[in-house]
Amino acid sequence: MAELNETIHQPVRLRIMAALVTLEAGNEVNFTYLRDLLEVTDGNLGAHLRKLEEAGYIAVNKAFVERKPRTYVAATAEGRKVFQEHVAALESILKSK
Amino acid sequence: MNISPNEAEEALAAIQRMTQKTRHSIASSGAYIFLILTGIIWLVGFLSTQFLSGEITVYIWTGMSVLGAALGVLLGTRMGKRVRSPSANASAKRAGIFWLLLVFYCIAAIAIARPTDGKQVTAFIILFIMLGQLAMGLLVSFSSVWWALPITALALVGYFLLPGIFYLWMAILVGGGMIVLGLYIRLRW
Repeated sequence: MAELNETIHQPVRLRIMAALVTLEAGNEVNFTYLRDLLEVTDGNLGAHLRKLEEAGYIAVNKAFVERKPRTYVAATAEGRKVFQEHVAALESILKSK
Repeated sequence: MNISPNEAEEALAAIQRMTQKTRHSIASSGAYIFLILTGIIWLVGFLSTQFLSGEITVYIWTGMSVLGAALGVLLGTRMGKRVRSPSANASAKRAGIFWLLLVFYCIAAIAIARPTDGKQVTAFIILFIMLGQLAMGLLVSFSSVWWALPITALALVGYFLLPGIFYLWMAILVGGGMIVLGLYIRLRW
């Protein structure tokens, strides 16, 4: 049976992973775009992204676009797998209701 | 870690909402506009081919194609700032070469087959464009594969079964279909 993941279950991180997993594998999203999508502050998003990056669930890439620094975020293969397991665990809890 | 069924339900609902919001945001950031843009070009172009004289049609097709290409580049740049695909970036040069070669092959095929009327030339061009779209979709972004197939099928139905109104068919069903599909993605997806 799939296990709940404490790192992912935190509400903001759960929404971050839901957004990133929705993208096609390999695609990455701009930090500011993700911030606006989630309606959180820069600091809040940065802190949660660090936690997810430390766990290996997301990859953060910094690049220059038109001479401006930009940060891109993507779910890793491990992150996608763990997120799907977390969703399966949530569904199994709901079924046992 | 233990949670109640109610908490699980709330978490799943939050995931569902975020998934829909992300899809909608990506679609509204430009993907749907490509479909609507192509649909408008085909709608206007084919309607003019059906009802207007040859010279005016050439000007309309040329003008619409240049406008469409310029808007396409602008939208692509805008989308690339939000969501980017490293694999797609790496293969962009190869994709460009592929499309150039496809144009060459299309011209060669038309030169060899020597089509006798405009409908045959149009059908050849549509088949090659859709073949290119299928190849790009399969190699770069699988989600863009599926819509090339019904468009190809509609074009073939129009060519073989309705030759008298082929251009009108292409304008309304294919051009109009792309516009409706684009609006559907924008509003419902």
